[in-house]
Amino acid sequence: MRLEIGTFPVHDVVFGAQTQWRDGLLEVARDEILDAVRSDPRIAKADLELAKPGESVRIWPVRDVVEPRVKVEGPGVVYPGICGRSITTVGEGRTHRLSGVGVVEVSETPWHEAGGDHLFVYLDMSGPWSEIIPTSSLINLCVVVEPDPNLGVDARNDAVHNAVLTVSDRLAAATASLDPPERETFELTDVDPSLPKVVYILCLHSPQAMSGSPATFCTSTYGLTQLTPPWLFHPNEILDGAITGPYRTAFATSWTMANNPALLDLYRRHGTDFNFLGVIATRTEWTTQHEKEMTANQTAKVAKMLGAEGALITWDAGGNEFIEVIRTLQACERSGIKTVFLTSEDDPTGSAPTMLEPVPEADAIVSTSFFRADLLGLDPLPPVDRVIGNPQKISGRLRDHYVPTAGPLPAPQRYDDHYGFSKLSSVEY
Amino acid sequence: MAGSLKVVYFVNQFFGGVGAEEKANIPVEVKKGPIGPARLFQQLLGDGGTVEATIICGDNYFNEQREQALADVTQAWREAKPDLVVAGPAFDAGRYGLACGAVCAAAQDLGIPAITAMHPENPGVLTYRRQVYIVPTGTSPVDLPDVVSQMFQIAQKLTSGEEMGPAETEGYLGRGIRKVSERSEPGYKRAVDMLAKKLRGEPFQTEVPFQAPEAVPAASLQRDLSQATIALISTGGLIPIGNPDRQVSGNAERYFSYPIDGLESLTGDDWEAFHGGYYNQIASDNPNYILPLSHLRHLESQGVIGRVASQIITLPGVSTPVAKSKHLGAEMAQELKDAGVDACILVAT
Repeated sequence: MRLEIGTFPVHDVVFGAQTQWRDGLLEVARDEILDAVRSDPRIAKADLELAKPGESVRIWPVRDVVEPRVKVEGPGVVYPGICGRSITTVGEGRTHRLSGVGVVEVSETPWHEAGGDHLFVYLDMSGPWSEIIPTSSLINLCVVVEPDPNLGVDARNDAVHNAVLTVSDRLAAATASLDPPERETFELTDVDPSLPKVVYILCLHSPQAMSGSPATFCTSTYGLTQLTPPWLFHPNEILDGAITGPYRTAFATSWTMANNPALLDLYRRHGTDFNFLGVIATRTEWTTQHEKEMTANQTAKVAKMLGAEGALITWDAGGNEFIEVIRTLQACERSGIKTVFLTSEDDPTGSAPTMLEPVPEADAIVSTSFFRADLLGLDPLPPVDRVIGNPQKISGRLRDHYVPTAGPLPAPQRYDDHYGFSKLSSVEY
Repeated sequence: MAGSLKVVYFVNQFFGGVGAEEKANIPVEVKKGPIGPARLFQQLLGDGGTVEATIICGDNYFNEQREQALADVTQAWREAKPDLVVAGPAFDAGRYGLACGAVCAAAQDLGIPAITAMHPENPGVLTYRRQVYIVPTGTSPVDLPDVVSQMFQIAQKLTSGEEMGPAETEGYLGRGIRKVSERSEPGYKRAVDMLAKKLRGEPFQTEVPFQAPEAVPAASLQRDLSQATIALISTGGLIPIGNPDRQVSGNAERYFSYPIDGLESLTGDDWEAFHGGYYNQIASDNPNYILPLSHLRHLESQGVIGRVASQIITLPGVSTPVAKSKHLGAEMAQELKDAGVDACILVAT
């Protein structure tokens, strides 16, 4: 499976008469694109707004950030499966991407109506929060969109995300017939057999247990979000967006998944430091200890059957899910697979271990600091000149009152650098 | 290190040259000058200071007569007025490790900087790592010179007032105090580099050293089950319907007790679930799933248990830090103990 990624860097975005990319300038035909979005009868209102790095702008609420990509050669479509798109297996041929630009999903639509998993992410384009969130350094085209409120919650989610993909598709399509200024080829070629064989175990939250529905919107694998057994992916499939869609943290977006630096680094070192075998996507938040241990054992089994000697493990969620993640690590180590765990840490202030379930097998942990943003010592987030999205923001422990989104505000509650974009970590004294 | 640094050293009977296990009962004895590993420390001190005295104590004596031993050690410090206390290294000797930890903690309580060394799995580490600077060692005294040298390095920082760096750069066992810090490479790069090193068999350093969780043994039932009062605690977010107490659905700061005398079963008319971590509707339809009162009442009527406690305790078990949970757990235990409860069932969600 060979995939060429053609990159079109974007240095500026302007609204114009025609959607086109030329020498780093992306021109967006706003009305034409909005017409396409509004042609979906499920959409009640939609608008497009631009936010650029350094501006005094806050975007609330942010559900997802999508990188515009398009398949120009080879089977299938980018971001397959989600919102009813083709489920043809992707990862071959050529895909174009617009780098440096994000399509932001701005909507009050909740993932589900069963409590938990509330929207709480917002993006600042300047100030302390923007400095640690990678999508704040993109030129962000915000799709401010609300669906027909009479629809069911799954339909509203589908409509809103589909609107964002419509915009993303239109932008990326502008590059389809152009020659990409940068090209990189991704292929799991035959390599020196003495190189250590590694897998990337990508743990993904499933909202099924929380929402009681296997169809709840979330990070999806070819559109599926339900609890599934460990699923083997070719890394090219992920570069084509086969794992896409948001979860509740600022780092669990379609953009971070398609630009996952841990995956890309492992892949780029295939043939020099590693023999990269593939990606095992392991769903988390099973409901019983039995299920958690089984999914851990089965993940390790798949890795072992592939011949893995090493595994990089990442995850994207909170506490409950930690159990199957750490047990996966333990099961791998016990079957002779050496692991590295890239993770955030729990609250250190009470002198309890910062790993929810510490296991001695986890002897190689890389820390991205604390998942609770209030422990990072950030300066208060200043008021902004302009808000994109809702000028009122829900607040309070009971989520029962509103504050002006313009701020000043505390940082969103979670900072969870799932894939290690930043240098933030923690050290022990 | 200050030119006239006064050091008092602490060793057990073995390293003090008194004898092996047969001398493990000797009480505290203070000898002038450096003995055993203290001689190495004196060499490192050179003209910068003096090991004024070496305190020797038998391993059994220290652990069995702890208060007396610590009183005698403290008395020796009062006389010698040390600027620094050094204990061990204890390697993997458990009783010695506990003694070294206790001695260093006592010294610090008196404002005297202290340093010890032992194997990371020594019980002294489990008990004292949060309070005391401990240099990690292997299991064998073969490493004694290197270990004492490392203790000396850290002692220099402790006594000079120089700021102590992180455990991983200074070479002591982390004390569980973790602080945000920026590293030189992004997380993904460090993770992939660490994997390459681990697979090549090269040395690497974890950024989160293993810290054993605290194990809590279950208390034994003090009376026959048929005589016992049993309470129910649920972390399933059980609330009276309509949430009159304005409980939160996660990261609880407190718990709630509700009287249930005369109540046979929980119904969805009076109770519901409010919990940010699972699909609440099932429990709201039948709250006995998260607090099985009806079943416990049945066991009460059958005489299997003595009686159901008068109150239930509830909170949502979501995102509560472990330290907070410990605090809440201790409060719950006290409340139930005061109410004469013999045992409780923690209902998992």
